[in-house]
Amino acid sequence: MTEAHHIALRMTHISKSFPGVKALQDVELEVRAGEVHAIVGENGAGKSTLMKILAGFYQPDEGEIEVDGERVGHWTPREAIDRGIGMIYQELNLVPDLTVAENISLGGMPRRGLFVDYAAVTQRAKDVLGELHADIDPATRLGNLSISQQQLVEIAKVMADKPSIVVFDEPTSSLGERETRVLFSVIDRMRRSGIAVIYISHRLQEVMEIGDRVTVLRDGRHIETRDVAGVTPDHMVRLMVGRDLNEMFPKLDLEPGERVLAVRGISREGQFADVTLDVREREIVGLAGLVGSGRTEVARAIFGLDPIDAGEIQLRGEVVSVRNARKGRSAGIALVPEDRKGQGIIPGLSVRENFTLPVIQRIAQGMFIFARRERAVVRSLVDRLKVNPPQIERPLNAFSGGNQQKVVLGKWLLAKPDLLILDEPTRGVDVGAKADIHEIIGEFARDGGGVLMISSELPELLAVCDRIFVLHEGILVDEIARADATEEGVMRSATGQVAA
Amino acid sequence: MRRLDLRATGRTAVRYRLLVLLVIVAIFGSITIVDFFSVDTLQSVLNRATVVGFLALGLTPVLIAGQIDLSIGSILSMAGITTIALQPVIGNVPAALAGLGVGVLIGAVNAAIVVVFKISSLVATLATLLIFASLALLLTDSQPVSSTDPIFGIPLTGDLLAVFTPRSALFVAAAILMFVWLRFTPSGRNLYAVGSNAAAAKSAGIRSNAYIVATFLISGLFAGAAGVLQSLSTATGSPVAGAVMLIPAITAVVIGGTRLEGGRGSSLATLGGVVALGALTMMFEFNGVPAYTQAIYTGVLLIVLITLDRLVSGDGRPTSRTLRRARVESPTPRGIQEEA
Amino acid sequence: MTATSTALNTRTSTPGALFSTLSVPIAIVALLVVGAIISPSFLTVSNLVNVLNANAAVGLVALGMTFVAVCGGLADLSVPANVAMGALVTLGAQSFAGPFAAAGLGLLVATVGGVVNGLLIGYLRINPIIATLGTGAVLLGLSQQLIGGGIVYGEPSALADFVKGSFLGIPVMVWILAVAALILTPVLSRTAFGRWNLAVGGNYEAAEASAVPVRFTKAGAFVLTGLLAGLCGVLLALSNGQARPIIGTGYEFVAITAVVIGGTSLFGGSGSVLRTVGGVIITALIGNLIILGGLPTQATGLVTGAIVVVAVGIDVYFRRKGGRE
Repeated sequence: MTEAHHIALRMTHISKSFPGVKALQDVELEVRAGEVHAIVGENGAGKSTLMKILAGFYQPDEGEIEVDGERVGHWTPREAIDRGIGMIYQELNLVPDLTVAENISLGGMPRRGLFVDYAAVTQRAKDVLGELHADIDPATRLGNLSISQQQLVEIAKVMADKPSIVVFDEPTSSLGERETRVLFSVIDRMRRSGIAVIYISHRLQEVMEIGDRVTVLRDGRHIETRDVAGVTPDHMVRLMVGRDLNEMFPKLDLEPGERVLAVRGISREGQFADVTLDVREREIVGLAGLVGSGRTEVARAIFGLDPIDAGEIQLRGEVVSVRNARKGRSAGIALVPEDRKGQGIIPGLSVRENFTLPVIQRIAQGMFIFARRERAVVRSLVDRLKVNPPQIERPLNAFSGGNQQKVVLGKWLLAKPDLLILDEPTRGVDVGAKADIHEIIGEFARDGGGVLMISSELPELLAVCDRIFVLHEGILVDEIARADATEEGVMRSATGQVAA
Repeated sequence: MRRLDLRATGRTAVRYRLLVLLVIVAIFGSITIVDFFSVDTLQSVLNRATVVGFLALGLTPVLIAGQIDLSIGSILSMAGITTIALQPVIGNVPAALAGLGVGVLIGAVNAAIVVVFKISSLVATLATLLIFASLALLLTDSQPVSSTDPIFGIPLTGDLLAVFTPRSALFVAAAILMFVWLRFTPSGRNLYAVGSNAAAAKSAGIRSNAYIVATFLISGLFAGAAGVLQSLSTATGSPVAGAVMLIPAITAVVIGGTRLEGGRGSSLATLGGVVALGALTMMFEFNGVPAYTQAIYTGVLLIVLITLDRLVSGDGRPTSRTLRRARVESPTPRGIQEEA
Repeated sequence: MTATSTALNTRTSTPGALFSTLSVPIAIVALLVVGAIISPSFLTVSNLVNVLNANAAVGLVALGMTFVAVCGGLADLSVPANVAMGALVTLGAQSFAGPFAAAGLGLLVATVGGVVNGLLIGYLRINPIIATLGTGAVLLGLSQQLIGGGIVYGEPSALADFVKGSFLGIPVMVWILAVAALILTPVLSRTAFGRWNLAVGGNYEAAEASAVPVRFTKAGAFVLTGLLAGLCGVLLALSNGQARPIIGTGYEFVAITAVVIGGTSLFGGSGSVLRTVGGVIITALIGNLIILGGLPTQATGLVTGAIVVVAVGIDVYFRRKGGRE
């Protein structure tokens, strides 16, 4: 088993600077054929810059890239693809209005004279989908597929070019447990067929599971490369950040108070049925389930963004009819949505304007917004949330994901809700901001609020929640107290194997 | 339960809206007019619809690519006056070609503003609409130009295979060719990619900019063709001929079902929309309905169609591309999460 | 500096933003200089006052169009129809309602047009270009049908005299524009409704999820534009004493041009009424320069269109440069 490792990719002495910031400094990366090489690091560590260089979007200031032993000079993205580099990004690179088969062959459709050779296009799609064991009809319009199915098509598209190196950038952030399994089996198959897989992720548990070796980057520098077998998540975090893992999730011991939210038998056709749950003061309640189990839909329905067909929602004992987000806010509910970019931030508006948006009428006196008052309100919040850099006039799209999430969270804190619903509050957020966000959530609970938290990261749920409700295919199948909660237990319920 | 049925029938009605509309027009037409269902009528409808038809046809790939071209009316006017004005100078056929050339030229100007200056097509073609409408007025001193050879254009509206005229045959042929291009060639399929997800198109190596340039050139060419045909048939080059045609052209495209958001569309659908609109107009005219009342009916039709479409296809929750046009490429890569 | 930057809704930190803030005043100054060079009669009070007067009515429309642009409503192409309706009803109803009531009725009808737009675009989420093209066609057709395609004359009245008159040497129409601008600028930059418009244009779904009344906001922008277009028509009718259905032709383009030249993006999320006022002044000066320079009036569209391209092009250039960091 100790055959000489074939080096598929070697990047040496890579340095890259942008005006004002040194993104990469003397970074090394060596990836073997047939291995899954994970890259971890905080935001700003340089992972994405390194990958952009590999993909041909940037040229390094210094350093060399060798693919299969051959030196590579300046190259364009197209040349990178031709040379066997496949990139799978978080944002899917697919065309919703074309079919699966057309998407897979996009940009290089087999022709017959002037026309598209549809027989060949369909065959090509069938072949590569078959290799991935993906049960998808190539003639389907891509936009009609689910997110995880679309991701499989994306992988198929990359695989159809027969790459020797494939890079996955945060591939599981939109996937639930079951789809992640499918993805991992695909990656495993890639590994066994000799492809060099680079796997970038914030989810250290996944790295432990799927990775063979891991490289840690910090502040643009290469810190360490180790076999995964000889490393723990704790160790990785310490290398990435200089902090221990258990500092990330503050364990709170609060006495729950009165019931803040009581949801009785709510249903929405095609999404969820007969869901009953409750949240008390000073309590953090988790909502677990696979992707597609209806968690986000339940959250949106409670807040009022989507309607319910049946059932009732009570806030502090009073039945409320939340027909839109405004009603939800007046009822004392707040929702931090799952899709930060699409539903969370107004990118062009400043931090200040984003912060005050839900309560702007309250801040205005009579009709007018007085700038000084607004700024004062915002500044104290910015300090408390540790938004970095604390420039409230800067447009929000100039900030990192973690900071943006803090603003989204903060704007609802301003609204002083009784119930805070969080949908994947730390997704795509770096470790430092993650800890900050959990601290804020904890404070909110301590001050008497109730929290309903959706997360696909089970360790997070288990560490933070007092109780966990589990949804399976739109039905509430379990309620687990913290003392009894285990990852396997939650997963079992989430996949429908409810204990007798 | 009942709600579901309504929805289903509504949805079918909207999908086949073209057919529904044609049937309605046919019924009304045959009731109010003798001999409505005749080959003559069809020939007339097709013939009259040709000019707007070419505009709508040229607009279709532009919309598919996620852009818009509001200047087609001005292009029509410019091409028309060019053709007529040059007839005595370089001869009939070369003058017609020059008219086409002017269309392509203005299309190129549009393309340059959108791709080189990176200005959105809405603003860009709004500006060129103004610029070339003014230029047309300037060049003709706000007077229509009369042709020195009015006989040349007459055969365009003559008989061809009973149901066509030479110019309507050109139109239908163009629609079919465009359909083949869009549906069966790689470049046609790529066009949908450009309008549906410009970033994905770029990652696949498709040069979106080239495609966007091409659609503006096509739009210019077809608008030029419309202008040439119209001016030859009327033996007049009018500097304002095109101004009133923008709305009917867009109406025809919308009736046909092409969306303004990009990524979807079909030239055959546009053809159908043009014919439907033409039939409607013809029916109005036979019944002596004045132009402004026609405008009311057409406007209401447009609104009703689009409302039905919206109601039936859900609450119109927009995708993130609804309000943006396909972006002209820039060298910054997207995809890997931007981390500060 | 913060007060103006809020009113202008700009970030004055980068050179691009600085250019953006200063470009409008600089352009105005430049045009004044060019005008003074071209013609001795340009830089006179009477000429400049005339210029403002001639563009005051359309300037009102541009103010409304600003809100439409900022909330992401793209453009209101039904403006000519609303102007026509306002004008025709104002004069046409005078015989049985008296001048004041007739003017009120004209405003009302145009506002109803705006409400229809608002319902279609704000509540039914229909594409604004199509919707306003449609309602404009319907409304214009209706207006033509009302008067059988002819012309309406108004009776002399105190109201008409007032509108045609001056106050402190400045025409009443200019005063009306100034007052409207003075009211609407803080509405956009300092009220909840204004903030909602900016949010809705910036990211519709995020605004909705932030408890902003998105549909009301978008509808409101179109109702406002309808109202202002109606007012424009009323004023034009009263000051001319007559009106035809084509009275508002081209006004939507002038308004959009003013908005764009002023620096507000048609795609929403940022902008200010003050900038649009600057855009109106610039457009007005350009038109005047063309006439004084002896160029044919048809050239106005040409020059205006070219300036739009240049102005937006420069703005896009700086925005891209700034956004790269």
